[in-house]
Amino acid sequence: MMPQVLTANRLSVGEVVYWNAARGWVAHMHDADILPDDKAEAVLKDVGARGVQERQVVNPYLFDVRVDGSTVVPVKTREAIRAAGPSARRDLGKQAD
Amino acid sequence: MYRYDEFDAQFVRERAEQFRGQVARRLAGELTEDEFKPLRLMNGLYLQLHAYMLRIAIPYGTLSSRQLRKLGYIARKYDRGYGHFTTRQNLQLHWSQLPDVPDMLLELAEVEMHCLQTSGNCVRNITADHFAAAGSDEIEDPRILSEVLRQWSTLHPEFSFLPRKFKIAVSGSAADRAAIMVHDIGIQIVRNDEGEIGYRVYTGGGLGRTPFIGHEVGRFVAKTDILAFIEAIMRVYNESGRRDNIHKARIKILVHQIGPEEMRKRVEREFAEIKASGTLQLPEAELERITAYFAPPAFEELPDTSPELEQAKNAHPAFANWLRTNVDAHKVPGYAIATISLKAIGETPGDCSSEQMEALADLMDEFGQPEIRVTHEQNLVLPHMRKRDLYSLWQKLDALGLSTANHGLATDIISCPGLDYCDLANARSINIAKEIARRFADLERQHDLGELKIKISGCINACGHHHVGHIGILGVDRKGVENYQILLGGSGAEDASLGEILGPGFDSEGIADAVENVVSTYTKLRHGGERLLDTYRRVGAAPFKERLYAR
Amino acid sequence: MPADRAFVAVADNEPLPEGPAIVSLARFQKERDLLLARGEKLGLRLEASESPELIGADVHKIDLIVLNVPYFRDGRAYSWARLLRTRLHYKGEIRVTGHVLRDQVAFFTRVGVDSFELPRPTTESDLEAARSEISQVYQPSVDGRETIWDLRAHRRKSTTS
Repeated sequence: MMPQVLTANRLSVGEVVYWNAARGWVAHMHDADILPDDKAEAVLKDVGARGVQERQVVNPYLFDVRVDGSTVVPVKTREAIRAAGPSARRDLGKQAD
Repeated sequence: MYRYDEFDAQFVRERAEQFRGQVARRLAGELTEDEFKPLRLMNGLYLQLHAYMLRIAIPYGTLSSRQLRKLGYIARKYDRGYGHFTTRQNLQLHWSQLPDVPDMLLELAEVEMHCLQTSGNCVRNITADHFAAAGSDEIEDPRILSEVLRQWSTLHPEFSFLPRKFKIAVSGSAADRAAIMVHDIGIQIVRNDEGEIGYRVYTGGGLGRTPFIGHEVGRFVAKTDILAFIEAIMRVYNESGRRDNIHKARIKILVHQIGPEEMRKRVEREFAEIKASGTLQLPEAELERITAYFAPPAFEELPDTSPELEQAKNAHPAFANWLRTNVDAHKVPGYAIATISLKAIGETPGDCSSEQMEALADLMDEFGQPEIRVTHEQNLVLPHMRKRDLYSLWQKLDALGLSTANHGLATDIISCPGLDYCDLANARSINIAKEIARRFADLERQHDLGELKIKISGCINACGHHHVGHIGILGVDRKGVENYQILLGGSGAEDASLGEILGPGFDSEGIADAVENVVSTYTKLRHGGERLLDTYRRVGAAPFKERLYAR
Repeated sequence: MPADRAFVAVADNEPLPEGPAIVSLARFQKERDLLLARGEKLGLRLEASESPELIGADVHKIDLIVLNVPYFRDGRAYSWARLLRTRLHYKGEIRVTGHVLRDQVAFFTRVGVDSFELPRPTTESDLEAARSEISQVYQPSVDGRETIWDLRAHRRKSTTS
């Protein structure tokens, strides 16, 4: 099984966020904690549920990543697009930050 | 066009305030996401890939300049300065924020607009022919009935929790520019032998996972009966539509399962009951009131030929090209219907910036255009242009990047937002649309190919209407990689047909080549002035399959 | 119609209570004569897939009909309530139970529902507020409420008189 990252959308602004235990819900995937697959479910149940409960985020879930040295690459195109922004508009989304 | 009276105005203001209360309860934790979701969907607010998406209702695709200007303003102030016109004549804003939405709804209410029922299992935006009141083949303006149905279906107590979404389209002529045959209810305005105007009603059409062409359930429904007839269909659906499986819940599945004959029987029975109780008739005075709003504008008496137009046409080849495709005949001499393409080569189909919206609103005022229309093919229409103003309009459109002379041609591509934006998507669609447009950009080549409707969807939900494209493209996820299937032979017009899958899909690198191969097969085989659609219908899939797959 | 809370719902295999009871349609169809002869008020519970037409001519002998909503998205109960009031001319109490959101109360009220068993405890005033949340309506319904179309007609009359 693959390492995972915990993601969600911010309740208020809808922005894509990722979990970092030290910093909370962060904006960029490269700042996210990489969760080994045997720990990930527990983090989702704990942190994800708490994030929803506290009205920080909605719809938390885990997705698979590949770790290539220091680069973290989502397995699914969908997550790459969520992390960067629409490929159709390179001037928008996190890729433009 | 329809104007709100104080009842309509108060209604949408109340809804906006109601939603403000619901948002506050959500943010304060008094509503869970599960409880809030149906409420936000009733106001067209989705959570998509990057942010919230707000779908603004544009009833039968008609906007005033004031409304268009306000849309540009809202997109700039609350979003990222652009919007996306959809295949249901609505506008989507992709970067909304929840706390802003109540204010956005109030801004919309100020110009007689709202987001009600653009999502959820209810009657959605009722779409109609974008050439309404201008096309020379029109029997009656389809927007009158559309407005009647819009009011009747707004917060309908019995039909707000249908098995699934419900889409109605209305056409006012024999030519179908509203794709009525692939809607849950499609209504065609007709004349009987006595010359009376009535409605032919179809039901059970639809795209998505299991596409169907609609079946006739009402051959000629009188004007006084139409509301009762529509209610009858809706009741049969609400009572008997499947609720066990979200993919089998549309009315098309019900019609398919019980058969059109049984459907007709059930609708007739319910219709008879409603008529017997006499409750549902639109008051005559109300019909007159609504009809009056759709009275045609005061047209000047003009000669049909405009010397200004002729001169400009001869002097400016680029303008002449635009006239060839983007201008259609109007029923009044001296006037013309102008289509503004939102399909500039290399741009996202259907997208329009705030600057463009505001500039178009100014152009509307400058040329005395009371209305602009959104088409289900993601373009805009100025239905009542004076021929003598066309060249001046074109020059200004050109400066705005809105003069692409490709209406109905290969680069006039319909594309859903796809995986770049949409939570439901399996593949990107916009990049494919852009690439295909680039390949076919040469205008002479496009004219040689003639009418060619290419429609792209990023998932099986078919928001890009790929089932009714002459060339349809469906994006799927094949083992984690974007893959594109080609369908051929679909049509959303009065000769409605569903496209057939040609064979295995192509990856992102290969799909544009595949489309080129389909097109070159067509040019080799065509007879006379056949379109690709006609050639396909004549020769079948075999030659195309062979070209694409035989190796 | 005020909700009659004296009714007790019983499962198909449970013995009937002393007073008014609510039974399933299946039980009513099996024990019809016994139930009607009890001399107590009778309630019937319909599941979402059960049309009130299945009750048949006995519908007027039923004092309370409870419509179960298994999930808030299941909108059949609106049609069933409407059917009861219009075609079947049912005059008894109609109650809705199950997974019903507060924001659906106004719709149910319009199609003829009298009372509610909501999953969340709700005060009477809260319920009243929920009932009257839509101050103006476009389309006629069972409640016979004046529609916006009616209001327009009135206004026309008064301006022309």
